[in-house]
Amino acid sequence: MTHFEIELDKLKNVIQKIGALAENQVNESVKALLSESVAEGKEVKKVESKIDKLDVKIDEICQRIFALQQPVASDLRFIMASLQISNEMERIGDLAISIIKKNKSIKEKHDLIAKFDIATIAREVEVVMVKTNECFLTRDSEVISSVFPLNYAIKAKVDEVIGAIINEMKTNSKVVVSGTNLVLVLKHLERISEHCSNIAEYVYFMVHAKIIKHEKFEDK
Amino acid sequence: MKDVKIQVNDLSLYYGEKKALKEISMQVPANKVTALIGPSGCGKSTFLRCINRMNDLIPSVSITGQMLVEGVDIYDKNVDVVNIRKKIGMVFQKSNPFPKSIYENVIYGSRINGITDKRELDEIVETSLRQAAIWDELKDRLGDSALGLSGGQQQRLCIARTLAVNPDIILMDEPASALDPISTSKIEELVHELKEKYTILIVTHNMQQAARVSDHTAFFYMGELIEMGKTDAIFTKPAKKQTEDYITGRFG
Repeated sequence: MTHFEIELDKLKNVIQKIGALAENQVNESVKALLSESVAEGKEVKKVESKIDKLDVKIDEICQRIFALQQPVASDLRFIMASLQISNEMERIGDLAISIIKKNKSIKEKHDLIAKFDIATIAREVEVVMVKTNECFLTRDSEVISSVFPLNYAIKAKVDEVIGAIINEMKTNSKVVVSGTNLVLVLKHLERISEHCSNIAEYVYFMVHAKIIKHEKFEDK
Repeated sequence: MKDVKIQVNDLSLYYGEKKALKEISMQVPANKVTALIGPSGCGKSTFLRCINRMNDLIPSVSITGQMLVEGVDIYDKNVDVVNIRKKIGMVFQKSNPFPKSIYENVIYGSRINGITDKRELDEIVETSLRQAAIWDELKDRLGDSALGLSGGQQQRLCIARTLAVNPDIILMDEPASALDPISTSKIEELVHELKEKYTILIVTHNMQQAARVSDHTAFFYMGELIEMGKTDAIFTKPAKKQTEDYITGRFG
């Protein structure tokens, strides 16, 4: 292995690590959302600081490779994608924390969560997160392409459920506070899925040398 | 491709029995910079020297195929090789000024071409040195020996000498490989400026230099032209795996 290849390998490992930590955060936030008790979230905060450190480390590695190795072609795409993926992962981590924070203030939430089948959406977000990490790891075209329809389905379902929650709030003023917080949590879950879709776009760019961000879902 | 300056059709070159260039076909666009890259011994310099028939000087060389410059096959029997080399100037890796004054170096070709008028020669010197971006540095010492100049200045003087005979095409064989970064950057900037008037082909081992200065890049390997395309495409998404392996340093 050349010195350059060792640097690229190091970068790949750190991306995998930040991906695994972000996935852990998503799992923890879903667990907190669906459980009866209000989680303390101490562990989650520790992981959050690890994610932040890795995000900075990835910036540093990429800066060093740009300055010292002048990467081109697939190497260049890998490093460009890494910078973006790291940023998206860090935001996924932040959103997971926000879900845990909001979770504490959703009173009567379990009635609403059960009523609107929030668990299904949350599980789907966990799946899209797993697929996203898998697509970076394998660079497999099929796995990459599987992320987009999953994200699309989550968005559609979130819109539908938010509409139903709003209707519920119109008829029952007691659920306005928890309903509003639940809408925010749903938007956070939707954003996590959207970040996953962005990551899959960067992996697609890395593998196929084609930029597909901002393309319509049907064209991907 | 619009405005093709050089059209190469199935050109092969043999050193005795050994086939050093294998059926090369390419189009070199006018007023653009085309970089030739590839590992040592891949045939890129040999190919460059085919364009102004410099390989004629090697007795064992034989060539098949066509090299059309502005539609004229330069290997045709009726073509005057001296005229070709007037139209196609060359700059080498090692600067090679004559042991004469700066002024005499620039007008060397013009004198051979029979120009004797002092005013005309003065004008050629100024124009050529200006085009080579070295006039301001040398205008007050035109009578000094060219051998007293720095390596970077000598190379730009050689470019001025090439420009003085008013060529159409300039061939550069690793023109900056022996220069420091500042002189290299001056040569690269010069290449950018010169392409407005000239068609330039440059052989370089420095991949970043090829990426910086050229519009098109041709990748040679073992006497074959593997891939030619726009430089930004070659350096971001090359079509051939061999090109990708070479430019990312994973060759062999």
